[in-house]
Formats: sequence, structure tokens, C-alpha cells
Amino acid sequence: MNNALIIGQYVPGNSLVHKLDPRTKITLIFFFVFIVFLANNVLSYSILTLFALVSMVISRVPIRFIMKGLTPIWFLIVFTFILHIIVTKEGSVWLEIYSFQIYSGGVFQGIAISLRFFLLILVTSLLTLTTTPIEITDAIEDMLHPLKKVKFPVHELALMMSISLRFIPTLMQETDKISKAQASRGVDFRTGSIKDRAKAVVPLLIPLFVSAFKRAEELAMAMEARGYNGGEGRTKLRELKINARDIAVYLLFIAVIAGLLLTRGY
Amino acid sequence: MRTRPIDLTFGAVFVCLMAIGANITVWFPFLAIPIGGATVPLSLQTFFAIIAGMMLGKKRGSIAMITYILVGTAGVPIFSGLSAGPMQLISPTGGFIFSFVFIAFFVGWIAEKQKKPSLPLYSLASLVGVVFNYGIGVTFMFVAMNTWLEIPITYELAWISMIPFLIKDIALSCLAALFILQLGKRVPSEWMHVKAS
Repeated sequence: MNNALIIGQYVPGNSLVHKLDPRTKITLIFFFVFIVFLANNVLSYSILTLFALVSMVISRVPIRFIMKGLTPIWFLIVFTFILHIIVTKEGSVWLEIYSFQIYSGGVFQGIAISLRFFLLILVTSLLTLTTTPIEITDAIEDMLHPLKKVKFPVHELALMMSISLRFIPTLMQETDKISKAQASRGVDFRTGSIKDRAKAVVPLLIPLFVSAFKRAEELAMAMEARGYNGGEGRTKLRELKINARDIAVYLLFIAVIAGLLLTRGY
Repeated sequence: MRTRPIDLTFGAVFVCLMAIGANITVWFPFLAIPIGGATVPLSLQTFFAIIAGMMLGKKRGSIAMITYILVGTAGVPIFSGLSAGPMQLISPTGGFIFSFVFIAFFVGWIAEKQKKPSLPLYSLASLVGVVFNYGIGVTFMFVAMNTWLEIPITYELAWISMIPFLIKDIALSCLAALFILQLGKRVPSEWMHVKAS
């Protein structure tokens, strides 16, 4: 679990999808979430599915990692599908079980919405599977840059993301330590009314707060000592660059949108 | 307002606390509390979002919550149930994640108004936090269900399905008001200053 906290869901690789600029990936996924709703017939859904499957195949991420992302939402997809079969009463009757009828419209709608759901999960999880959290942080800092004009602290936000990436595993270990320390002193969490249990949380949280903020204070002092004074004039270790392959992928994506607009029924 | 390093590191700590709060049952499985037959896993996200507003104030508190959302979206498993990724924001319960920003902002806004720490005002601020939490969260769920999942549910049904969680979060918000007063007595006073220089 500790590993997952540092690198997120990232699966190392060297594919085209891995090498794309993180900004390109974020932009495409942002628009994909909207264009998924444009599809409304077999042909337009096939274009979307083809796009998603091709991206999945060229990313060369093992299928089990993608399935892992699906597990928590799997039941929701099945539930949606079944509900639509039961509720929707359009088209011709396909199947009759006692007095219960399944309509063709219901089956089509069920499949379409489950597929939409599935495609959304597939494509959005490709972002986090092929990009490290640090890359995404860099991309977000760059993409939010225009917001600096309205005094939104973009650089500070990105630095806060980096600091928390470093702190999360440490503080989770700390929580573990505190719970064991309090248990060894005889704090009983397992029995008692809800009120007692809620009260037992306080001796856990106060030490956690104190140790967390002590660390934060020390880090802030170290930053001051090294002369940190905001984002102005700071240079970067990692520079983002848009390459020819990014432009090619953008063009391909525009082609997908055009294809969708042409094939969808009105 | 010049951002001092301590503002950044305190904000980052709240991102971590949110991550721990979302998954508190990983360390303390006993915190899954049975309410009316269903087991509600206690999550302390609302609790920590309220505390963030109280300790950091409206501006820094809400930016810390935006950071939490972005780190989770970047794939670090810090949302509830150790989940992550952009999909969490689109799924029906995504509104609750967005609402943390508003909780921290409005709780901070109220907390900044008071001159001395007082229980009634902190309690009021916490309850306002819960109102935003569920107002945004449930409305988002209702809209998501009806639009892109195309499951027609009524607005009332969306609220009714959330009642066990609502009870839990109202209780926790009362605890948040008590907790912040307790914390104020035990930590250096410069940590608690809501008003930033």
C-alpha cells in the first residue's frame, strides 16, 4: 500500500501513451468526458469504443491494472444495466417471463449506458495508469497558469501538492504508530456505545495533529532557512514540452470528434 | 497576502489528514458504526474539512481542499475506500468531494468573524459545513443519476438514501466544534491563528 501512496496508480512503461505530454492527456480526457455524451447510436458508440480500446492497447498497460480500477464500480454498471431493462418499455417485446416483459428498447438503452460508463472509466484510468502524480502536478501548475491573473495561487497549489505527496505515507505510518501506542496504554475502542467510541477517537487525533503540525513547522522553517520566497523567478528541474506526437494525437482526437458528429443520429 | 512557507506546509498537512480521515477504518475497523441495520463506515472527511476551515481560514482552507481533490485525481489513493482518479469526480458521489472546498470556505468565513473561540459559533460553523456538504453532494448525485446514468430518481429519494450518513456527519460536526476547542488548549497558539498575516 505504501508504494501506491507514492506513485499512485502509475504503471511504469515506455509506450506512446506514457510518453505523451501530461497536459495533452489531461486535455483529451477532459474533452472525452463530454464527447461520450454525443454518442447515441451503434456507429457513434463504435467509434468511441474503438478509440478507447486502441488507446488501451498502445499504452501496453496490463489488463489486470485496468480491471482493478473497474472493481469498485462494477456493481454500479450491472445495476444500471438491469434497471434499464426493467424500467424502459420501448420497442418490441423480446422476452416474456410470466407477466414480466423485456423490451428491445430497454436492452439497447441498458447496453448503451453501461458502455458509456465503462468507456469513461477506461479512458480516465488510462491517465493515472500512465502518468505519475508528479507529472500531473507539473501539468496542472502549467495549465492553471492563466489563473494567476485573478490572483489564484497556482504555484503555491502545485507546491502544496508536492509536499503532500511526500507527507502522505509518513503521516499514515504515524497514524498506525499512534493507534498502537494508545492501544498499549489500554485505550479501548472496540466496546461501548457509539458515544464512547467517538470519544475514543479524540486521544488518537490530538497526537496525530500535534505530530503532523510539528513536521509542517519544521519543513516551513527549513524552507525559510533556504530562502524560499514564492514562485517568482524559480527555475524547474523538469520542463514540459509539446512534441510532434502530441500534435498528432490532438489531430486524431479532433478526427474522432468529427466522426462522432457525422455518425450520431439527431 | 504573501504566502509564507508555513501556510503551504499546513495546507499540505490537511491534505494528508483528509486522506487519513477518508480511510480511517483502515486503521480503526471498529469505527464502522451500525445505524438502523446498515453499517456506516465512519469517514472523517467532513470533520477534517470543517477543522481545515477553522484552523486555516476561508482562503487557505479552501485551497488546501482543492489540493486534496487534485492529488486524489492525480492517482494517489486518498479518496474514501482508497480510491483515486478522475472517475471519482464524475461518479454519483463526486459532489461530496467537490463540497469539501465549500465547507472549508464557509466554515472559515464564519470562524474568521469571531474574536474569541466560542463553542456556539464553532457549532454553528460546523453545521453550516454539513449543510453545504449534503446540499452539494446530494444535488450532484441527483443530477448525475438523472442525466448521465439515466436512472430516474426523485430528489426526495436521493435525500432519503443519504439519511444514515447525514446523522453520522451531524454528530461528527458537533464533535468537530468540541475538538477544535480542546486542540486550542493543547497546541501553541500560533498554530491556531485563523487570521493570516
